[in-house]
Amino acid sequence: MDQIVNENVSAADLKKYEGLYLEQQRRGHVSERTQFDYALCLVRSKYAEDKHKGISFLMDLLRSSSDNQTMRDYYFYIAVAYTRLKDYERALDNVEPIFKLEPNNKQAQELKTYIKKKLKNDGLIGMAVVGGAALALGGVVAATIAAVKKS
Amino acid sequence: MAAGPYNYSYIFKYIIIGDMGVGKSCLLHQFTEKKFMADCPHTIGVEFGTRIIEVASQKIKLQIWDTAGQERFRAVTRSYYRGAAGALMVYDITRRSTYNHLSSWLTDARNLTNPNTVIFLIGNKCDLDAQRDVTYEEAKQFAEENGLMFLECSAKTGENVEDAFLDTAKKIYQNIQDGSLDLNAAESGVQHKPATPRITMNAGVQPPNKEGCAC
Repeated sequence: MDQIVNENVSAADLKKYEGLYLEQQRRGHVSERTQFDYALCLVRSKYAEDKHKGISFLMDLLRSSSDNQTMRDYYFYIAVAYTRLKDYERALDNVEPIFKLEPNNKQAQELKTYIKKKLKNDGLIGMAVVGGAALALGGVVAATIAAVKKS
Repeated sequence: MAAGPYNYSYIFKYIIIGDMGVGKSCLLHQFTEKKFMADCPHTIGVEFGTRIIEVASQKIKLQIWDTAGQERFRAVTRSYYRGAAGALMVYDITRRSTYNHLSSWLTDARNLTNPNTVIFLIGNKCDLDAQRDVTYEEAKQFAEENGLMFLECSAKTGENVEDAFLDTAKKIYQNIQDGSLDLNAAESGVQHKPATPRITMNAGVQPPNKEGCAC
């Protein structure tokens, strides 16, 4: 899953599909396909701003879709985008709906496991930081008490 | 990532392409897990799998990108062709339309990979011989005319699945040995890994798998 989540779009592809999108926008109608293609480039961009834009494009498509399979695809890539942004809570929120559409989807299960692992790691790092800070603070307090006692 | 001796000396990048429902993901699953996956849903975008194999007593890690066959993912899946050392092009022997589309898949593969990419044609579902819609001879001839390697396989029974993946690797390895595949070319799809950890003069730690990888 690391490979799927961390894969970056090439600059050439991003530019190409952005161009197609802008062209259709200028003409007044953007097709679902064009928006989808561009959105999948955006979520795979290395820039956070692009990823957010990709997410909003996909959410937009999601709202106007009633087909289980396309909805599944949108949720999956929204979850991938949030994972790339390290927003693991939102990533999980978008993986879950896939199981209502396809209860045994292997890719969604793998993504969920991956996100949960990341969440756990982040939690551990967080605890280590808080723990370290507490230790440091304890040290400062002890030193102050010692200093006060001495004087 | 811990720096240590790699337990393989090469990485080959593969892609699996072909129409929707021909069994690409099942072939990958059979190759990496040695199991048949029934009722496999259509792939979302791409899937990824690896396995370490041995060719001429060299350990080779295969990094396999399994692409969605659905037309709507074509923009995404095309971006994975670049830098592939091997391409497995799959059709379903029981569905003629998947065979008829091969020339379009082949055009994509030729245009988006490099001239040395080994293309292997797989006629999947050969366990369903009673429903056969494409003869072996016909596909064999197509493969010969286009310079492709060819086998009929069954992701279900596992028949010939190993051979398809391994024969592709053997061919790539042979191309390296005879010098027709330049490892230093940007998109060869092959990375050579030293068997022992290299103690580099420059202090920077080189993470494995990053350099020269199109993924």
